[in-house]
Amino acid sequence: MSSQVHMSLYLDPQIRDWVLFPITLVMILVGVFRHYVVILLQSTAKKLSRAGIREQRALARSQILRATSANSPIPALYYKAISQNLSEAFKSGTYLKDGPPKGDSASSARNPLSDPAAMDGMMAGMKTQMVMMVPQMVIMGWINFFFQGFVLIKLPFPLTLGFKSMLQRGIETPDMDVRWVSSLSWYFLNFFGLNGLYRLILGGDNSADSSRDMTMSPFAAMGTAQPGQPQDFAKLFKAECDNLEFAEGLYAWAGDEMDLKILRKYGKLPPNSVDD
Amino acid sequence: MSLQSALGQLATYRSQNTRASQDIFEKGSLVLQKNGLKKMGDNSWAFLEQLTLAAIDVGRLDVADQCLQSLTDKFPGSPRVDCIRGIRVEATEPPEVALKYYGELLEADSANAAIWKRRISILRRTGKIDKAVTELSQYLDTFYTDVEGWLELADMYATCGQYDYSLQALMHVLLLAPQNPFHVLQAAETAYTAGDLPLSVKMFLTVVDMTDGDDSDSLAESAPRGITVRAWYGVKLCARRIARDARLATISPSSTPPPKHNNTLDELATERLRVAYSSSGQKGEIAKGREEVFTWVAAP
Repeated sequence: MSSQVHMSLYLDPQIRDWVLFPITLVMILVGVFRHYVVILLQSTAKKLSRAGIREQRALARSQILRATSANSPIPALYYKAISQNLSEAFKSGTYLKDGPPKGDSASSARNPLSDPAAMDGMMAGMKTQMVMMVPQMVIMGWINFFFQGFVLIKLPFPLTLGFKSMLQRGIETPDMDVRWVSSLSWYFLNFFGLNGLYRLILGGDNSADSSRDMTMSPFAAMGTAQPGQPQDFAKLFKAECDNLEFAEGLYAWAGDEMDLKILRKYGKLPPNSVDD
Repeated sequence: MSLQSALGQLATYRSQNTRASQDIFEKGSLVLQKNGLKKMGDNSWAFLEQLTLAAIDVGRLDVADQCLQSLTDKFPGSPRVDCIRGIRVEATEPPEVALKYYGELLEADSANAAIWKRRISILRRTGKIDKAVTELSQYLDTFYTDVEGWLELADMYATCGQYDYSLQALMHVLLLAPQNPFHVLQAAETAYTAGDLPLSVKMFLTVVDMTDGDDSDSLAESAPRGITVRAWYGVKLCARRIARDARLATISPSSTPPPKHNNTLDELATERLRVAYSSSGQKGEIAKGREEVFTWVAAP
């Protein structure tokens, strides 16, 4: 109807001074505040005991051995000795933090909730989540309560109708130009768009940006192997045994034919002579 | 010397982990005199650590104590500062005191690798090799990827004449750093000393393969240099001993097959060594001792 008619709204400058700027300022300050609270809450990484480190790094040993097995720098005898040693140690559980498993205790997957170390990790995630959620909820409530239905600003460029739901949340007027931004939408624009500013103020890896945390839950990290998260090493070690056997099948010493290779390289033997 | 260039030089030493203690100490004192500490910002702490170690090294313990004091004030309870203090203790106190100090630290944090290594070094220094070897094996069982640790273990075994064990430790070094020809050379020489000629000659040849050029056409003309010459010496030694006594080629604790075409290898090594001592090197002059080498390689 009136989309052709150039209907101009006149915004009270008071809205700019008392609504638009305060919302932006509050959001920036909350982000900075949040950054420092997260730093405060960060618990220092728990130190592993000697046995713990040994358990965690045992897998690396066999991985190092396997990495070069098809063209190994060490001769067969040494390779087999190391490989078999590792494989036996993995089978008998020498590297497990609590020593080899005793008796018939079926290696029950430990419940992460009963392990205090795992609880700590989860609690840390929850705490940062809380620091993020609570102030955002308060700000949103504040905006909804005081400034509901306010039109704050007119964007200086035209937009298509698709942006209406994004820019005019909280104002149910089908005919208004899309360029007008409502208070709640201004909040969301800030919510998602302030990261660049935070990066300028607080540096690269700040924890002020809350939109990033929206996507992760404190439990999401549990599936992936995170340092400090409990892993069932007994099972990992068993699986590594198979890998070791497989690598042993592929094994070849790089120096095996080195005498012929060098002689050929220096032209003392014809390039592809079959040696006797 | 200007403050700027001194700072630059010190930063280079830090990044390359160079132990040029006298130089570091002189430049560091200059920096302290000219009040350069504030200009460095956060780097000043790394500089203080470097200066402390250098000062202990050159025996200026008064400077070391000053630096250590400011480090302790800034980072109380830091394991890194604890380690420097341990080194300071080692400089003046008897080894027992240092051992006790390290023991207490390890009690508090059993997985502190730097302290653990310091303790092993004291054990070795005071002649308790057996204990040092046990500790170092335990350490390497926990921190497997420490190449220097494995090299130290190999060295300890070698000083006791246990070349087989030394070789085993070196094998782990080779696994961890397969790209370093110097480690291969050390393994080859250890195998030679242990009497495993077939293994030794193949490892010497591996060093040759790793260090000579890749362009096989010009190889025969170009002269071997540096580590390659030493590897050719090794090949020559092994090949000559095998030529003298063919039984040696079959004695191999690692059950390595004997090298084929041993005589050709011998000739090739002789030729390469002759070339190495006949051509002009990087400085443009022929190496000294040419006559001696020629007589040596020609000897049966």
